[in-house]
Amino acid sequence: MIIALQIALCLGTVVAQATLSTMLSVHGIYPDLCLVLACLVGFFTNEYKGFMLGLMVGLFQDLLSPGGIGLNMILKGLAGGLAGVTIHTISTVTASAVIIVTLALSLGGGLASLMVAYPVLNGSESLHAISWVLVPQALYNSLLAAGFFWFTLTIRHSLGVVHFSERRR
Amino acid sequence: MSRSERTSFPISVGLRRLLAGGFILFLVLLLFLPRQSQEWLGQMGGPMALILEGPLHGVAAIQDSVGETWNHYIALQHVWEDNQRLKQEIQQLQGEQNRLREQAILTREFQKLSLYQATAPMTTLPARIIGRNASNWYQAMIINKGTRDGIHAEMGVITDAGVVGRVVRVNPTTSVVLLLSDPNVAITGMIQTSRDEGIIQGTPQGNIHMKYLPPLSPVQVGDVVVTSGLTKDFPRGLHIGHIQQITKAATDLFQSGEITPIVDFSKLEGVLVVTSFQPTIADESPLSKEPLPVP
Repeated sequence: MIIALQIALCLGTVVAQATLSTMLSVHGIYPDLCLVLACLVGFFTNEYKGFMLGLMVGLFQDLLSPGGIGLNMILKGLAGGLAGVTIHTISTVTASAVIIVTLALSLGGGLASLMVAYPVLNGSESLHAISWVLVPQALYNSLLAAGFFWFTLTIRHSLGVVHFSERRR
Repeated sequence: MSRSERTSFPISVGLRRLLAGGFILFLVLLLFLPRQSQEWLGQMGGPMALILEGPLHGVAAIQDSVGETWNHYIALQHVWEDNQRLKQEIQQLQGEQNRLREQAILTREFQKLSLYQATAPMTTLPARIIGRNASNWYQAMIINKGTRDGIHAEMGVITDAGVVGRVVRVNPTTSVVLLLSDPNVAITGMIQTSRDEGIIQGTPQGNIHMKYLPPLSPVQVGDVVVTSGLTKDFPRGLHIGHIQQITKAATDLFQSGEITPIVDFSKLEGVLVVTSFQPTIADESPLSKEPLPVP
């Protein structure tokens, strides 16, 4: 049942990315909802679940992407896994920590995607892509992740669910 | 006590009868008087009419007030409900109208495509755009046709206006089309007037660039660029756009130019996938008349 829900969540996110991206774009910058999902699952559960869900959502994303299959799968899997690892290193995960970690993961993943998607870019084109697409997108992703994180925490607290970090301690 | 005794002016019964008879006769005679003679009667009745007008207006005002109260409050007690119902109906009708307008626009667009499909010298398959780039690093869109409909990778995608891009990934019922403005797409094109050929490729900024134009080519801003037909995905002569800017440094071996695409990629809703076409060279040759399938 949980696996079915996770698959549905991944499918829904990829479909939302493909259909709602124009509505979510800010000055032509689209958020990577799949990366945000993988990171959030990593933050809220553990590195294993973050990694597995990241692999799944990345695979779905690859199926609707012009690039080769595997890139998004690996990147999202790694992002989910690394987000999960932060739970072990940070005593209490806060929204600001989510921003920093997601920003770093988004920058790293974006850079890898850029190198694979456009291997023949010259210096000025690379600089343009990094400054006008990669960095704004990473900021957008991190803010979105922090927003979802805060929202989910608020809901969980209002429902009386024990905070994951408290549970771990 | 008799009736005559109760009156303050004791008049005999005979006299009263006489007076009553005279009064009736007077009234009868009034009817037969000429109209002009009746004016003095009107003047006499004027002040009396004034006395009547007061209560008359009063009654009319009360009547109006009652009528207004009835019409505004009592008889309209269901109007609020009617208003709400009508508002809902208006909203439904506006939604319906919007849906029909949207459908009409789509139908018009597909009609244009269908008309073009019927007249174009190639076999095409109409498809609808169901999604945009699922990743951020490609300029792509997803169409609702896949391998089950006979779509293969590397097939060209066009509209009635011109070239859109190329199919790069095919799933059973969907395909991913990389737009001409993506750097990973390169097709051969030529200047329509001078017939000079070059390579057309997208840029990371989403523009379209034409490279490797001959150094002596008389290309000018505004020249129309069409497909050259040298690659197997597009037939010759499909509109790509027009030259917006020409660049040639002294050290460059070739000229290059920026192209303004004829197709607005952001407003596309339907496209045609080129499944096969008659190559120009084969057209000219009497030996081969078979359509060349796109690999």
